[in-house]
Amino acid sequence: MNQTPRTLNRILLAVIGLALALAGGLALALAAVPGLSGWWRSTTERAGAAVESVLAATTLPGQRDSWLWIVLALATLLVMLGMIVWIAQQGRGRASTLAADDVDDGGPGSVALSGALAEQALRGALAERTDIVHATVATYEYRGMPGLRVKVLARKGAAPQVLAEQISDQIEALELVLGRQIPVVVSIGASARTRLGRGDRVH
Amino acid sequence: MTQIHHEDVPQEEAAPERFRDRITARELHSSRAAASIVAAVLVAGLCLVLLLEALLKAIGQRYWLVDPRDAAAWVHQLPGNVPPLILGASGLLLLFVGLVFFLKAVLPGRLPRHRIPSRRGIVVADNEVIASSLARRARAAANVSREQVLVTVSRNLVEVQLRPTSGMPVDEALVQGVVEDELLRTRIEPVPEVRVHVSSSGVVGQ
Repeated sequence: MNQTPRTLNRILLAVIGLALALAGGLALALAAVPGLSGWWRSTTERAGAAVESVLAATTLPGQRDSWLWIVLALATLLVMLGMIVWIAQQGRGRASTLAADDVDDGGPGSVALSGALAEQALRGALAERTDIVHATVATYEYRGMPGLRVKVLARKGAAPQVLAEQISDQIEALELVLGRQIPVVVSIGASARTRLGRGDRVH
Repeated sequence: MTQIHHEDVPQEEAAPERFRDRITARELHSSRAAASIVAAVLVAGLCLVLLLEALLKAIGQRYWLVDPRDAAAWVHQLPGNVPPLILGASGLLLLFVGLVFFLKAVLPGRLPRHRIPSRRGIVVADNEVIASSLARRARAAANVSREQVLVTVSRNLVEVQLRPTSGMPVDEALVQGVVEDELLRTRIEPVPEVRVHVSSSGVVGQ
């Protein structure tokens, strides 16, 4: 439950992957099939001639090099900035406000609930459970809707449906306190710590 | 006094079922964030070199690493100027890296998790957690120790491997029934098939 642009990730990864694979496939084919070298020579020769003529046509009189180099520099700069923005988009979506009341009742000020309030309450309640080794709670925002993201590390052998039921109870209690419903995403995992730990001995 | 920004906070009951489904799908599938960051760094590094060379060319300075015209000529003479083994190996490497990125993008990228239906919230559990709870039930039913049961859970198959204690036969049908019962209690969808293997050799001294 964050704002990682998943569709964008898939599209860009597919494009970059295809480009790399095509370049690699071409190099592999040139190395493996000797008959291709004639075709490669003639193709790159024609492409080189075309580039040379374009460069010559775009060179201003009195200048040594074409102004296309400036365009290329700008284009690569843009692509680089795009890549940095793309990286910055990964895993975004942490929010600090869980809920804000926008009902205008004529009174001054407004009420906003910090995410830390719900995070601490839920974490504290979950920490008391013996079948939970560790719990982290964070506030995230997805599509303009703030919600809680709960990560729970279960003790070895704990039944996930029982945990889900108990966490549901905690969420209901929290909602009663907050006075509104919030989307909650719970993921139950096993960590190295739970793997090494002893299982319960009494059945 | 500062003006507090009024945020538009929709209530969850107003949220359509699609919102929940979307979040669930996001929880059960990989975000490909790691692969994206690697790809972005690769492309940005390549662009940085290109940018420097293009800038030097634009202001009429000498090249930094390689003259663009020399590079083009090198590409033009390709199969001849590099040993075929090196060209083939680097081509294969590039092809492999490209395919990894492409497959990451195209394949569904399911995470080893299941959704556990619950009254409130969206709950997903790692297959490892489900396996561990199934193993606990199987162990209790077969009356063996923890090391003698191995449960693996995948999307539509649960495999239970059990090594009985020597001299104490294990009722395979009983273990199967108990594991299936526990699996039904988790209410995961679709219910995986359960396969129990009781090995013929027993363990001594448990």
